[in-house]
Amino acid sequence: MSVQTHALPPTGLGERDPRPPRRVGFSQRLGRWDVKLSPYLYISPFFLLFAVTGLFPLLYTAWVSVHDWSLIGGQGDMVGLENYTAVLQQEEFWLSLRNTFAIFLISSVPQVVMAIFLAALLAQNIRAKTFWRMGVLLPYVVAPVAVGMIFGQLFADQYGLINAILNAVGLPSVGWHSSTFAAWSAIATMVNFRWTGYNTLIFLAAMQAVPSELYEAAVLDGAGRVRQFFSVTVPQIRSTIIFVIITSTIGGLQIFDEPRVFDVKGVGGPTHQWETTTLYLYNVGWGPQMNLGRASAVAWMLFLVIVAIGLLNFLITRRISSTADQRAQTRKERRAYKDAVRRLRMPLAAREADPGSVAATITADRATSGTSAEDESPRRTS
Amino acid sequence: MQSSTRPTRRSRKAFAATAGIAALALTLTACGSSDDGDDAADGGDSDAPVTLTIATFNDFGYTQDLLDAYTEEHPNVTIKHTIAATSDDAKANFTTKLAAGGAGLADIQAVDIDWMPIVQQYEDLFTDLSDPSLDGRWLDWKTTQGSSNDGSKLLGYGTDIGPEAICYRQDLFEAAGLPSDPDGVAELLGGADATWDKYFEVGKDFVSKSDGVAWFDSAEGVYQAMVGQIEEPYENASDGTAKDLASNTDIKDLFTTVATMSKDEGLAAPNQQWSDDWNKAFQNDGFATMACPAWMTGSIETNSGGVDGWNIANVFPGGGGNWGGSFLVVPASGAHTQAAKDFAAWLTAPEQQTAAFNNSGNFPSQVEAEASEEVTSATNDFFNDAPVGKIYTDRAAAVTVTPFKGPNYFSINSAVTNALVAYDVQGKGSIESNWDDAVKAYEALGIG
Amino acid sequence: MSSIPVIANTAGPGAARAARRRASQSFGSTQRRPRWVTYTILGIVLLISVFPLYFTLMLGSSTQTEISQSIVPQWFPDLSIFDRFGDIITSGAFNFPKALLNSIIISTVAAASTVLFSTMAGYAFAKLRFRGRRALLVFVIATTAVPTQLGVIPLYIVMAKVGWIDTIQAVLLPVLVSAFGVFWMTQYLENALPYELIEAARVDGASMFRTFWSIALPAARPAAAMLALFTFVQQWTNFFWPSIVLSQDNATLPVIVKLLQGNYHTDYSLVMAGVFLTTVPLLIVFAFTGRQLVAGIMQGAVKG
Repeated sequence: MSVQTHALPPTGLGERDPRPPRRVGFSQRLGRWDVKLSPYLYISPFFLLFAVTGLFPLLYTAWVSVHDWSLIGGQGDMVGLENYTAVLQQEEFWLSLRNTFAIFLISSVPQVVMAIFLAALLAQNIRAKTFWRMGVLLPYVVAPVAVGMIFGQLFADQYGLINAILNAVGLPSVGWHSSTFAAWSAIATMVNFRWTGYNTLIFLAAMQAVPSELYEAAVLDGAGRVRQFFSVTVPQIRSTIIFVIITSTIGGLQIFDEPRVFDVKGVGGPTHQWETTTLYLYNVGWGPQMNLGRASAVAWMLFLVIVAIGLLNFLITRRISSTADQRAQTRKERRAYKDAVRRLRMPLAAREADPGSVAATITADRATSGTSAEDESPRRTS
Repeated sequence: MQSSTRPTRRSRKAFAATAGIAALALTLTACGSSDDGDDAADGGDSDAPVTLTIATFNDFGYTQDLLDAYTEEHPNVTIKHTIAATSDDAKANFTTKLAAGGAGLADIQAVDIDWMPIVQQYEDLFTDLSDPSLDGRWLDWKTTQGSSNDGSKLLGYGTDIGPEAICYRQDLFEAAGLPSDPDGVAELLGGADATWDKYFEVGKDFVSKSDGVAWFDSAEGVYQAMVGQIEEPYENASDGTAKDLASNTDIKDLFTTVATMSKDEGLAAPNQQWSDDWNKAFQNDGFATMACPAWMTGSIETNSGGVDGWNIANVFPGGGGNWGGSFLVVPASGAHTQAAKDFAAWLTAPEQQTAAFNNSGNFPSQVEAEASEEVTSATNDFFNDAPVGKIYTDRAAAVTVTPFKGPNYFSINSAVTNALVAYDVQGKGSIESNWDDAVKAYEALGIG
Repeated sequence: MSSIPVIANTAGPGAARAARRRASQSFGSTQRRPRWVTYTILGIVLLISVFPLYFTLMLGSSTQTEISQSIVPQWFPDLSIFDRFGDIITSGAFNFPKALLNSIIISTVAAASTVLFSTMAGYAFAKLRFRGRRALLVFVIATTAVPTQLGVIPLYIVMAKVGWIDTIQAVLLPVLVSAFGVFWMTQYLENALPYELIEAARVDGASMFRTFWSIALPAARPAAAMLALFTFVQQWTNFFWPSIVLSQDNATLPVIVKLLQGNYHTDYSLVMAGVFLTTVPLLIVFAFTGRQLVAGIMQGAVKG
């Protein structure tokens, strides 16, 4: 519950605006309709707009993908899954998947770790909090197009600043555009530059919400900072970690702008060293081949890959963080921790002990557990 | 940014200002000749108010003054000119809008020679611009480039061309003890009989006599110039089908030559064309010569600000060569195709293209414009007052080959140049292994 | 805090106790101040954050020739960058003031509408039960995995059909809602909005909408502030779709930055000045609202 939720007159809700007397039967019926319909009303603006700008393109892409379809010539014959099998036979497609995963791994993993670490630093009682917080978010306001132009200057092979610095300290130049791994690293650097601060703030918000009782209890039990971090902070912000990992997986596997601006041709390098899958689909669709059918097939396969990886990610993260949760409870501070949790949660007994996450509700079928908050709540709201 | 597209041109200021006014006067008096005759064909349309949109990119030299000259002649016409920054942006726009059925396309679209194959492939989406009264306006090979594949329709009115000369650093030539005046250099490279072999020979000599300066700017630049002298590089002109790359010995020989000269003989600066490093090499004495279409002079000038040794030799290995140039096309989906056609014809008339040359330096593709005093007398002070007008008129006349570019030209060309860059810039594998990669990339296109 | 009695009324005395504790001692204040190591690390991070923007200022103050000749043409920006700002603002090649206005309108409207619609949907997904809830939520999240590049053609067809090409509605329509926003608000409200409050309101006879308006909306404020900031920045920096559907007379700022970049000889000094100029309005927004936003994020986020 947030401070803002309390912004109601102390007299309580009902008295502020007394209901006019109504006929009971009618108002009950009205109420029932209200309860049944209003959830749909709340989600309808989103879905209506989304139908036009999200769903239609998605279905259209599926339709295109089973046809011979040239970018300009338009629809040709229905070819079934031919576009899919053709793409799967292309070495370039597999290279693009390799690049996508490589860049994703060397950007997302350090990025999330770094963001949690920075958030932990910022969550301390530092001086000039706002200054530091705004400082880390600064790169986010620079447009990706601009980031590309700036880092292009920094990562030039022959006359770039970074190689000049390397040379100055006696190291050889790195072929940022010729070595595949160096190219991945350079692109990952651009991604990390722009997104680390953003994720830091998301983590920071979650950390701020961890009840201080938990830390106090941990301190009483003699836990040091590091121990506090792993035993209290990480398990407590678990749902946020899952959220960030899911969103950065989805974003990371669709990376497009950075590799596109990494060199002048924008097609991912002469030997496809940094051609990601989204860039590949753009090249197939808008490049000289102008094969929209195949590009749509690539889009759908990428979509499925991302969903699969997202699920895998979710399951792994959930397991890891719940082990962390358990570990916290089996260690020395177990009792204090549990006490604190109980103290805090008792009043909200209706809610389950697990700080439920949206992510958790996506796949884990909690309906069967019967104790989950969201399954109880509707009964009570109605 | 695609490698083989056209550049921005920065106007040569003082000259342009005076020349612009002169040209304007010229256009005002001249526009009757090609245009007024069409009004009859228009019937009653000619007086109805019409808004024409024209979309160009970079700098075509179509200043507001120039456009105003047309609207003054035709008070019922309003012109809206939109300009994209790069031909790449313009192309993305063009193809996306074509893909969406033509909505949002301008009445007149500027199209780079590099994407003319799209227009040719979908010729029904464009207005046939054939007009007997315009016969002989353009260089023959320019008209061929702008026509449908079977030659029955004229799809685009030529604007400018990119005839190639050799730009070189006379200070570096001097330091290496080679002749450095334009005529001397032209002769050194073989004059009218200049060949690529000769060019590479002189290059080896130059490299041995100078300290770490490469002979030319990039492997791609030379390859681009050489492939532009082959009649049917990758496809058969008769039916547009692709030639099997693995057995295309012309291209394989070309690839091997350029790769050997660039890397093994060390003649090329190890940069990818148009990259940041390539840009900066101009300031760092990275290389001494480059294949130099008319529009390239602007790039060289901007990239080499402060370096004053550039000059242009009136010579080109292997005869003439053309790189780039554009057309104006009229999408058939437009509401005013006839009025658009008239306007496009007017804009590509010699007088207007001469004015555009003065505004932006784009070299005109019109025979009459190239012969005009204004063009032939033009000089470029950055290139030590090289007579660019005369040089490029000569170079345009020397062009004898118009390579056939079918729908797959750029896919195949990229496959080869990518392998070239992999070998020359990245130092990957051997010439053979990179050629094999090119063939593999070609086969992956699934067009053979 | 005046709110505590409300909690006592609505969520029981225990919750009020907890809230009181939280109000009296925020997490930070119970800790001692960190040592210099923290500041050193943060200082380095800040330096890395600031450097590229500083680099644009430096390059924007140099000429193209200086940039080509030297990797670092000058270490300090100077006033010559204002000449380039002037060139860009008054350029006839595009309409800078209009683009600025468009960027402001698009970013603001997108932020407001994304926040409103995401909060509504997030509230429904997090706290209300209805048929198809779970499936719809999975669907929302899954759609964020659809590569956006391919959406351009169908979207363009839609816009052409309604005659919105080259209008800012065409840019606005697809960004009025975001699946990410819905995911984000659902996630937040799930944790931040106790059922007790909703229940209390319902028991008191507030309508569903009333409950949403006076309970959920205020509870969502911290997350909404962040979502607004993120959406605003995202739309401000958005390039691909606006560049296709808008013309240079009716552009947005990133489209203009791209227009500064020529094909074959980019004047980096002008481009960098442009990059800086188009980032400045965001920096100003940031400077004025950042404090409240960042502070708001911190106080508000409380989860069970």
